[in-house]
Amino acid sequence: MHIFFYIWRNLKRNKLRSTLTILSVGFSLALMTVLNGYMAMQGVWGKEAEKNQRIVVMNSQGFSGMLPISYVDRVASTPGVQAATPYAWYGGNYKEEQMPFAQFGTDPKNAFKVWDEFTIAPQQLEEWQKTRNGCVVDRRLAEKRGWKIGERIPLQGTFYRFNLDLVLCGVWDSPQDTGSLWFNWLYLDEGMRELNAPGTGNSGTIFARVGGSESMAVVSQRIDERFASSDNPTRTQTEAAFAQMFTDMMGNVQFYILVIGVAVVFSLSLVAATAMAMSMRERTTEIAVLKAIGFSRRRVLATVLGEACAITLLGGLMGILIGCSCLELLHQLSSQFMPLSVFDMIGPWLAYLLATSAGIGLVSGIVPAVLAAQLSVIDGLRRVV
Amino acid sequence: MIPVKYNVRNLRVRWVTTLMTVVATGLVVWCTVLTFGLIEGLDHALRISGEPLDLIVLRKGTTEETSSNIDQKVAKEIANLDGIATDSSGQPLCSSEFVTILTKPRRNNGGTTNLIVRGLQDVGRGLRPGFKIVRGRDVRAGVNEVITSENMGERFQNLAIGEKLEINKVNFEVVGYFEAAGSSAESEVWTDLRDLTGARRQPGALSAVNLRCRDEESKTALLKRIREDEQFKLDAMDEPAYYERQMTASIGLKFVGYAIAVFLTMGAMFAAANTMYAAVASRGREIGALRAIGFSRRSILLSFLFESVLLCLLGGLLGCLATLPLNGLSTGTANWATFSEITFAFRFGPTVLLQGVIMALLMGLVGGLAPALRAVRMPIISALRET
Repeated sequence: MHIFFYIWRNLKRNKLRSTLTILSVGFSLALMTVLNGYMAMQGVWGKEAEKNQRIVVMNSQGFSGMLPISYVDRVASTPGVQAATPYAWYGGNYKEEQMPFAQFGTDPKNAFKVWDEFTIAPQQLEEWQKTRNGCVVDRRLAEKRGWKIGERIPLQGTFYRFNLDLVLCGVWDSPQDTGSLWFNWLYLDEGMRELNAPGTGNSGTIFARVGGSESMAVVSQRIDERFASSDNPTRTQTEAAFAQMFTDMMGNVQFYILVIGVAVVFSLSLVAATAMAMSMRERTTEIAVLKAIGFSRRRVLATVLGEACAITLLGGLMGILIGCSCLELLHQLSSQFMPLSVFDMIGPWLAYLLATSAGIGLVSGIVPAVLAAQLSVIDGLRRVV
Repeated sequence: MIPVKYNVRNLRVRWVTTLMTVVATGLVVWCTVLTFGLIEGLDHALRISGEPLDLIVLRKGTTEETSSNIDQKVAKEIANLDGIATDSSGQPLCSSEFVTILTKPRRNNGGTTNLIVRGLQDVGRGLRPGFKIVRGRDVRAGVNEVITSENMGERFQNLAIGEKLEINKVNFEVVGYFEAAGSSAESEVWTDLRDLTGARRQPGALSAVNLRCRDEESKTALLKRIREDEQFKLDAMDEPAYYERQMTASIGLKFVGYAIAVFLTMGAMFAAANTMYAAVASRGREIGALRAIGFSRRSILLSFLFESVLLCLLGGLLGCLATLPLNGLSTGTANWATFSEITFAFRFGPTVLLQGVIMALLMGLVGGLAPALRAVRMPIISALRET
């Protein structure tokens, strides 16, 4: 207990210097918290997807490839698959807004079997299945837009020539905010056929629910083998791997954040080390006295290192608090950019950040601490600062 | 005024502290300039892609080539419109193009991403800024060949010269690398129009028409003509506006850039303040002496502020210099407008470097203000008496 008390008193001796160092570490670590938090969010997002027993079938050439609608039934009848539905990205404009939320053409009979963790009132689902131009949306989206059941939602096609004139039939609840709208794929395809537009009969992607004892990998491979020699070979992957594709598109962001992180940590070590060295220089005589009255080298070393760590840890705590507040603010401002609340992604990354701040303290304290430990008592007492 | 030499010598005497502070602020400036250079590179690639007299004709309702489709018949009618510039042989500079997106793996386990493949005819090459083949040769029609930029060849699997890119089970051989003044065309793979639509089994399909207007006047007329034609159902945009829209690609990066700048500048300010407080504290007697021999409070304030600014500027310059070796380094990210990879090079132009220097100035001024005020407020007698 003794030593902690001593460290605390030392820390409070030059309040201004300690505060400035803490603030410096704090603001820099706030930045690292925000950057790492964004990465962590993607990690948590991927983990959530891993829990789902869902696979995604797409054309092996990518999103713009053809995936004939007949494939849906063939995927559904593959052993190990419980249900399958087309899932076509519509990407339309709503009134004057360009693609303000995600819109997918799907199969009302099977969508809630594939996404069986989503819940919708049975009569609303029935209504959607009966209404050709009906649609259902995420409850959060409906609340944000102030839509009521029966609301007309006109969507203007961008990729598709056919414009949709949708009627809201129901809202669903899901564990996470999807911000999406689902409509009947058939309604779109028939409209396209009437216009004689190219690109009919394309299911876009197929989402399927896997059941039974077989792994998703086995079932995925079985599907791909089935279509391998057709005109449109497929690429089937788990929902988590599918989500990873979007993260991959960003390029080596992870590496970039790492570079920035290393630079910040190094810079902070220098800042903290300078402050520590200044403190020690002022206390040379005092340390000599400590040693004269019998403090061991190890003990002196521990006090100095302890002080350095305490300062950077306090800074780290402050930084994490500021950073997390910023992340939460971001989440409140734009759930598209930051779909998760900070409280949903508390994890080891926070501990790792705290450890980094303590590590900065250790590194910055080493030189002053060793100098202090090795100080000869005579020299120290004689030196005039 | 206290001579500048006084500050320079002071920094030199405390060289360990000075060096550490300089390196620390330098790193902070480096991080920020690096990010701004990345944004500048991305924006530059898009900005240079737009020629003021060029129009992109798309289906009404779409804003991207990748989601547009146009009938061949209509495309031919457009080529015959009045006001289109002609090349030396009298051919109208009007190119019908087909754009498709493939999902392909990057090299070195960089994950998969989307790749734009463009089918076009010879005339389309003249519409890109500074198009030239820099290695290998251009494609021949009918034999499934592609060309791309060297960047893309290095970034993507199967895209280096001699390798084969598979498009719907048809192998396209990479026969050359081209340059287009660093524009976004350098993020694409080019092949013959018919070869591509054939492989994609969409014979006759077109995505967009690119054309060059004779002059500003004909541009206005053509824009009006194409937009208002009831039969066409088309939209035309001038290229600068088209690429301006895509600059939203760098919004995420800009956000990160400003976050880095704000947080790290604050952090560095406190660090500079710390160093300067120590400098003031250890020079109590000096300050007293300066006052005693008649230097005004103001000149002492200015002197300390100058020292602080000098300290941070040194760091700032170091940070800016350290980014220069990375100038021109190519990288890539997702262009969310086209949903595919865009490659570009880091650009540390004057504006970007100036931003770094301003940041350093700010650190020095704000960080040094409080310590300088403390120096000024010291009563002469007690300052002189200090040990």
